[in-house]
Amino acid sequence: MTDILIDHPVAAAVADGTLPGRVWLYSNYHCNLACSYCLTESSPRSPRRQLEAATMLSVAEQAAELGFTGLGVTGGEPFLLPWLPETVRAMATFLPVVLLTNGTLFEGDRINRALLLADHDVALQISLDSHRPDLNDLARGEDNFAKVVAAVPRLVAGGVTVRIATTTAGPLDDPGLDPLRRLVTSLGVAPENHLVRPIVRRGRADLEDLGVEAEARDIPSELTITADGAFWGSFGPTVRSGRLDTDLLLTRTVLPLSAPAQALLGVVSGMPAGNDTNLGIR
Amino acid sequence: MPRIELPGPEQAPLTTKLYFAGGDPGPIVSALAQVPELLAPTLAFVGAALGPGAAGIRYKEFAILRTSALQGCRYCIHAHTTVAVDAGLTPDEVRGLRGEIPLDAAFPDEAERTLLCWIDAMAGATGPIAESAWSPARRWWPDHLLVELATTIGATLFLNRFATGFELPTSPEVVDRLHETGFALDIDPVQPEGELVRD
Repeated sequence: MTDILIDHPVAAAVADGTLPGRVWLYSNYHCNLACSYCLTESSPRSPRRQLEAATMLSVAEQAAELGFTGLGVTGGEPFLLPWLPETVRAMATFLPVVLLTNGTLFEGDRINRALLLADHDVALQISLDSHRPDLNDLARGEDNFAKVVAAVPRLVAGGVTVRIATTTAGPLDDPGLDPLRRLVTSLGVAPENHLVRPIVRRGRADLEDLGVEAEARDIPSELTITADGAFWGSFGPTVRSGRLDTDLLLTRTVLPLSAPAQALLGVVSGMPAGNDTNLGIR
Repeated sequence: MPRIELPGPEQAPLTTKLYFAGGDPGPIVSALAQVPELLAPTLAFVGAALGPGAAGIRYKEFAILRTSALQGCRYCIHAHTTVAVDAGLTPDEVRGLRGEIPLDAAFPDEAERTLLCWIDAMAGATGPIAESAWSPARRWWPDHLLVELATTIGATLFLNRFATGFELPTSPEVVDRLHETGFALDIDPVQPEGELVRD
């Protein structure tokens, strides 16, 4: 149990809801897939832009000290990093972790790496966009659907908490998603652990003319740590035509975490309420 | 061409957007915007060190333009040639600071010459300053003024290396002013004058 620095202005801001409780970490930018709406243009050829394991642990520890209430790890595909499960397990001793993955690297014995996270305060969030393999794989790549629907029940049976995230270009309450909702339930994932969210028009989605327009104030102001610096929101450190977007960059300094957290608090305090709830970005 | 990318208004980080609100903030601000947490404190320091102070703009420009000439910083020489002209320095005084004519010829006032000799020793050499530069300056100038100008020289040295190292471009407006006022864009290397370093 980490002692919270209760007198720190960031801790006070998290406690009163001025700042969101979750800190995101982009563990890496490269990915075994190349999805059409990817915010970071991730693919097997992407520069890795990788955080060190020690940095991720320090972020977790200092986030807990500053009163943050949760961590998120995303990429790229985090499971491409061989040391990731052990690092995330250690991070979860400080705060609960949501770990985003495409779920396609768990075939055969490789699922044992994900099963290391069972019975720890870690939830795997796996992407699945359609109940139809052809539609799902159109955006996410060949055999994606088959690999995910094979992996999820094995993970659930192994004691891993699994959430399913669906990214859609349509309305979030589209009845056309009902078959997918039923599929998710049949895989052993509770309905409350199925998130449906819009495509945000940044990164590759912007180049592909996809998704909803969102300004900074529309994007949840979750502190987001990358190898390139700290950003406003997990939708901040996007990549377009190979170049990192810096419009939502807060600081290049990531540790001590209080430095970017203070910068974020400064910006949040001077910004009017956004449209994030209406856009469904949360 | 600059050696680094200079973000425009669209890619300017959140905390730096204010500096871009009035249009192009110039290459130094644009470059610093790449590290947002450095921008405000650096500009605060540079603004305090180079801006109005007890020393007065004439002596500030002595320090800034002479330091820039000794360092061979084209960007800062260009920019502060126009600032010095606007501050009321004569064309010969500006040429003297730029090293195009001897300081003795440009500055008949003995007190000012001692100050320029001290500036040359501060900005144009390493090691402790020669007594022949210190003693005359101390006769004419109070400690606080030398401290203020030392800070101006230090901030200018930082800007000189920053602008020269990254090859920041002179703005077209400054180039036009230099043409209008008859000052050259190309400047030969300048050697400091007098004995600079104590043995």
